[in-house]
Amino acid sequence: MNAWVKVARYNLMRPANYLVLPWVLPFAFAVGAVTAGRERGNDASGYLLSFFAYFAVLGMQTIGQSLPFGLTLGASRRSFYSGTALLGLALALLSGLVLTALQAIERATGGWGLSMQFFRVPYLLNGAWYATWLTAAVGLFAVFVYGMWYGIVYNRWGLLGTVAFIAAQALVIVAGVVVATSGHWHALTALGLTGVIAALTVLLLAGGHATIRRATV
Amino acid sequence: MTPAISVTGLTRRYRDHTALQDVNLAITGGTIAGLLGRNGAGKTTLLRILAGQEFPSSGSVRVLGAPPAENEDVLRHLVFVREDQVYPEIKVGQALRAASWFYPNWNAALASSLQDDFGLRADKAVKKLSRGQRSALGITIGLAARAEVTLFDEPYAGLDAVARQVFYDRLLADFAQFPRTVLLSTHLIDEAAALFDGVVVIDRGRVVLDAAADDLRGVATRVSGPCLAVDALAEGRPVWERRGLGSQASVVMVGRLSPEDRERARSSGLDLTPLSLQQIVVRAAAGVVAPAPEAGFETERTSA
Repeated sequence: MNAWVKVARYNLMRPANYLVLPWVLPFAFAVGAVTAGRERGNDASGYLLSFFAYFAVLGMQTIGQSLPFGLTLGASRRSFYSGTALLGLALALLSGLVLTALQAIERATGGWGLSMQFFRVPYLLNGAWYATWLTAAVGLFAVFVYGMWYGIVYNRWGLLGTVAFIAAQALVIVAGVVVATSGHWHALTALGLTGVIAALTVLLLAGGHATIRRATV
Repeated sequence: MTPAISVTGLTRRYRDHTALQDVNLAITGGTIAGLLGRNGAGKTTLLRILAGQEFPSSGSVRVLGAPPAENEDVLRHLVFVREDQVYPEIKVGQALRAASWFYPNWNAALASSLQDDFGLRADKAVKKLSRGQRSALGITIGLAARAEVTLFDEPYAGLDAVARQVFYDRLLADFAQFPRTVLLSTHLIDEAAALFDGVVVIDRGRVVLDAAADDLRGVATRVSGPCLAVDALAEGRPVWERRGLGSQASVVMVGRLSPEDRERARSSGLDLTPLSLQQIVVRAAAGVVAPAPEAGFETERTSA
């Protein structure tokens, strides 16, 4: 068995985390269903964000919880990181597919009979099924990798380091806002944005990989 | 023959202290060595570096001929059982199953018989185990992995005497069948002394004693009895410690005793007790014993 696959299977041994994962969705959906339509419009797709947030937490947990025993079992940091990212990618693809299916059902049932928009996020997740799948999967994988990086930064530099890490990102976000408000942004399609997120994910992956190389347990 | 573990000029500095200072070490393959020393002496740091979990500040570390850090060719032949192992939220059986994937020589039959010996239930969550049971899990992984290099860091914290004996017996039995290199750090020195082929003592990050266990056995003797007879026997020999009470005295004398010495002691009514490994280690940690006993013991302190 390849070392990456071993690491992925080892990570999957914590079923609680992966069982909680789908349960976030009905809960968020219920809140959305109750609140949709109370104000103008029936857009509850903001609640879908909780699903993405859980992916970040999942990524973070793999480092804090699974890394120490993973290294003890003789996985290298490199394999642990790659194997865990591989698992994140598989989960993202699978979850993206589920979101795509639910979006199709939402369309077919006229918004679950409530004219509710939950799985149709305006602009971002509102196109053809393959576009939804691709964008959702890329987005979920991006936040998973992002969460992993947080976990690694915390492992290496503790709370202060994590705060510094967040502060450093504030600069990146400011730069992002500058780019976003510049004229080019509006020309970007949803798929184009997915491409941007994919490029960001590659950067995040590289950052996490560089950080885990000297992590200790 | 290249040693299974070889450490040269190893130093590990942290911001506020130096955990290891210029450590040099060579552990011969196929032997069991004791890594001894006080709390905070640097034993765990050394083992973590050997297992690639920590990095040296300077110096070189080779395990099975190559640096262990990030080297899976070495790591899959190395198992490290640490006292403070953090486990994810998994069950005992899952931890063992994961270990079975990673270690090429994993022996499932041995693992399950150790589980029986320790009363370790597979369906129990690792987080819910008692300290002793958690140690038993570590020992089970460490032995069943049958890794060429096996590192134990205080493997039996919280284990009762019976379970500890199980560990010693199983280690020796499996070692006889599948020889490997074992480095065992422990505070229960006399209890484990019979296992050791070699002994390394570190204190405040430095190696203060590195010797074959056979060289240490009988290397020092406590002589007690009438003052005059004790002094007569000890005359001209290095002495670590001297205690007197009235006409009686007791000294720790360094050097092996010849049959004539023993005969003299017997006829003058002296009591001879060889110093145990633990007592030798205590003196080594106090800086009394020179690092290389074969080069002759130095007497640095003679207290009256």
